[in-house]
Amino acid sequence: MKPLSKCLAIVSFILPGLVAAEDQVLTVATWGGAYEESQRAAYFEPFTEQTGIEVRTVVYNGGLQVLREQLASGEVEWDVIDMIQSDASAACEEGLLESISPAILAPAPDGTPPEEDFMAGAIDPCFITQIVFSTVIAYDDRAFPGVKPRTVADFFDLETFPGKRALRRAPVGMLEWALLSLSVPREQLYDLLSTRRGLELAFRRLDEIRDDIVWWTGGAESVELLTSGKVAMATGYNGRFFDAQVNEGAPISVIWDGQLIGFNSWAVPRGTDQMAIAEQFIGFATRTENMAAQANRISYGPARHSARQHIGLHVETRVPMRPHMPTAPEHMANAVIRDHRWYSQTVRLREQWFREWLERNDEDSPPRREPGE
Amino acid sequence: MDRPDVRQTVYQVTMVTVVAVAVGAVASLAAIAFVEAVLLLNDYLLVSPYARIQAEDRHLLVMAATIAVPASGGLIVGLIVRWFVQERRALAPPDVILAAQTQRSGPGFRSGLASTLAALVSLGSGASVGQYGPLVYLGAMFGNLAGHLKLKLRHQRSIAIACGVAAAIATAFNAPIAGLVFAHEVILRHYSLRAFAPVTVASATGYIIANVIFDRPAMFLVSFGHVEHSYEFVFFALEGVLSAGLACCFMWLLRASTDAARRFPVPQWLKPASAGLVLGLVALWIPEVLGIGQETLRFATIEGAFGIGELALIIVAKLVLTALCIGFGFVGGVFSPALLVGILFGAFYGLVLPYLLPLPYSGLEVYAICGMMALASSVIGAPLTTILIVFELTRSYDLTIAAMVAVVFSNLISYRVIGRSLFDLQLRARGFDLSLGRDKAILETHPVRDYCSQAYTTAYVDENLGTVRQRLVDDDRGEAMVLTREGKFRGVVRLQKLVNGRADAPLDAMVVTGATQFGDDTTVWQSMEMLRGFLGEAVPLIGADGRLIGVVPEEAVIRAYLEIVHDLREEENEAA
Repeated sequence: MKPLSKCLAIVSFILPGLVAAEDQVLTVATWGGAYEESQRAAYFEPFTEQTGIEVRTVVYNGGLQVLREQLASGEVEWDVIDMIQSDASAACEEGLLESISPAILAPAPDGTPPEEDFMAGAIDPCFITQIVFSTVIAYDDRAFPGVKPRTVADFFDLETFPGKRALRRAPVGMLEWALLSLSVPREQLYDLLSTRRGLELAFRRLDEIRDDIVWWTGGAESVELLTSGKVAMATGYNGRFFDAQVNEGAPISVIWDGQLIGFNSWAVPRGTDQMAIAEQFIGFATRTENMAAQANRISYGPARHSARQHIGLHVETRVPMRPHMPTAPEHMANAVIRDHRWYSQTVRLREQWFREWLERNDEDSPPRREPGE
Repeated sequence: MDRPDVRQTVYQVTMVTVVAVAVGAVASLAAIAFVEAVLLLNDYLLVSPYARIQAEDRHLLVMAATIAVPASGGLIVGLIVRWFVQERRALAPPDVILAAQTQRSGPGFRSGLASTLAALVSLGSGASVGQYGPLVYLGAMFGNLAGHLKLKLRHQRSIAIACGVAAAIATAFNAPIAGLVFAHEVILRHYSLRAFAPVTVASATGYIIANVIFDRPAMFLVSFGHVEHSYEFVFFALEGVLSAGLACCFMWLLRASTDAARRFPVPQWLKPASAGLVLGLVALWIPEVLGIGQETLRFATIEGAFGIGELALIIVAKLVLTALCIGFGFVGGVFSPALLVGILFGAFYGLVLPYLLPLPYSGLEVYAICGMMALASSVIGAPLTTILIVFELTRSYDLTIAAMVAVVFSNLISYRVIGRSLFDLQLRARGFDLSLGRDKAILETHPVRDYCSQAYTTAYVDENLGTVRQRLVDDDRGEAMVLTREGKFRGVVRLQKLVNGRADAPLDAMVVTGATQFGDDTTVWQSMEMLRGFLGEAVPLIGADGRLIGVVPEEAVIRAYLEIVHDLREEENEAA
């Protein structure tokens, strides 16, 4: 069995390479929707224009499972992945990623070397961090014509703010928000979530809105749920909410309280047969002017200092981009910086707890009540 | 005011300020370094939940660390104390109080450093002890150093020590006012502007360093609206009374554990390790007992984080294991464990109360905070400090007033039952009794021997009456000290008895033997007590070997008393 599958793997590696020798294709796994469009305009199209190499995208919604399965099957279809930094660092530890040479990174236009221009921790042997994004809670303005929700606690308050809640079907962000809503200070979130008691508390808090949760998996989905009126509040990525609100004119607003700041990084899966092109692409996509071009299309902060200085007005709507950036000073007061080390070290644990919680609730047992509640 | 005086005043004010800022800065930096080092060790040694969860995949490793880390930490602590601390015991706030109150030299810098290191290892390896005791000692240690500089400032040492303590507390709690009050309430035991001014400067320096330069997170963040029902203040008072009971229980356990440790048939340096082993085994079952318990502290204010039974279990476990760790020689304080047990008890009270009295309440948080402060204030004997800590940490007026009520009721009871604080109890065991105020305690530290005089008339038992009478007349004295030929003290003869006697009569029959006499170790306080009803010129001072060392004239005892008390009053009423 083993040698055969190995042979198949080799064939499947070489064949496309041979066939596509003339018109090469780079497969990038990324997140779809408005985000992917901004990448297309800022990175993919200019890259194809310059090199003649076509960029094909596949949808990736985070996590390590798909990558693990691909590597296990021996059929690595992706060449470049746009990963959450904590996932990338966990994948790196599991040996799922190729190492990337920092020499591919271009200096800033004024000659500043990349290691000084990128934010701290962005350049890693396994990944190059490119943007600062934020997971936020947004609400449908039509659902709350009177008093508007303002805090994370309001997301859990079904009495004052009735309506369905769209939440990502993954143990990411929900635990932090559950504890934030119990007035745990953001500095202590990960310390408390490190205890069994903290996890139980968070899931018990989620129990309280369990019946009104509508799950989403892809970033575009959550925007769709909110703008179509299927839910009253939704968690999602700030850039996509920005796109719906500003570019599409949807009646939605973002609650910046408890925004969860995270980072996205470029990474290359182990076993890709296009390592050189993948590196060429990452080098291209992390150039200052290209990063700024993306930031002027969607409100994600570039990980390069020089690129941040080029943020101005949106390329089409001419809306000033800076106030919509997650890193705008007025949004940072209650921001939670996602603890990447904690995230990457607790992947399995969080997944297991989440799965068990889902199963427990699917059996429809009534939420457990403590005497103190 | 003439010129030299102005110069002197400028010198005094400048020097005092420089000392305060310097001591404050060093104490504050040392406190930050200490706290950071503890956190680092906790992460590295898998004590903190944050580190433990990241090693979750290696379950056996976490289990092994839980048992091995406190036990080996205990072994290291035992060895450090044995080899490097001259006193062979942990140095703690009582030593600071003693150093600030008396002129005694106190433990050396080397012992202090070693004791601090032992505290660092204790806390780093998860022992159930507190960090504020070692921090207070650390601050005082640097204050003591500054106190020995030749700057010619009055009460330089005690003020410099208070500066160090205030800065350490201000840094650790992010609470400069509490730091200032703590130094006065617990260490100096009086309020004078001379001390108040530099201690304030040091406290503010600590706060600035912690807050502005390093941007340290607050120890405790709570948001509380207000007490909704006036009748709840009765519940706060009752909570204070119950907390006092728990505080007494805690102190009793500490003493019982210390006694048990003394009887435990194992070398002194091995005792902390055995306590660590027990702690580790219990921690497998109740992980909350490990370390300072920041997470548990926070959970106690959240409704639904604990069940009533769980709370009771953790309270008992934490009380017993803290007593075990401290009694068996881990180096650390009692304040953090008292805060933790207190907040858990407060939460327990807040959860049980609705079952007993079905009335509306303002939520769990305020009861938790009241319990925390009531218990902790009784243990360290610092009601004002703890009230201020609540105020500075929460900035909530309502919460502070609620805590205030609980704190005073707790202190009222615990003061009556066990005394002002654990520190005072420990000092009393060492012969420095502050329970009747500073006067008595300080008078107790001065031996009356210091006021001894050699101006007396000697007589020997085998001399005859006439000789001695003539000698007294010549010396112009009314009494003579009678010795044996071997030099032992026999008693006193008074001139009144000799005036009408026959000149050749033996002296022996005239000797008064049972009269008042002082010993080598008689203190000024005791001598005052013994002088009641004394009629005579001077009291003989007898050495342990029965020989006469000298005499203490009645006037000298009164002079000693006046001088010492005058010094104290002056210290307490001085302006800067």
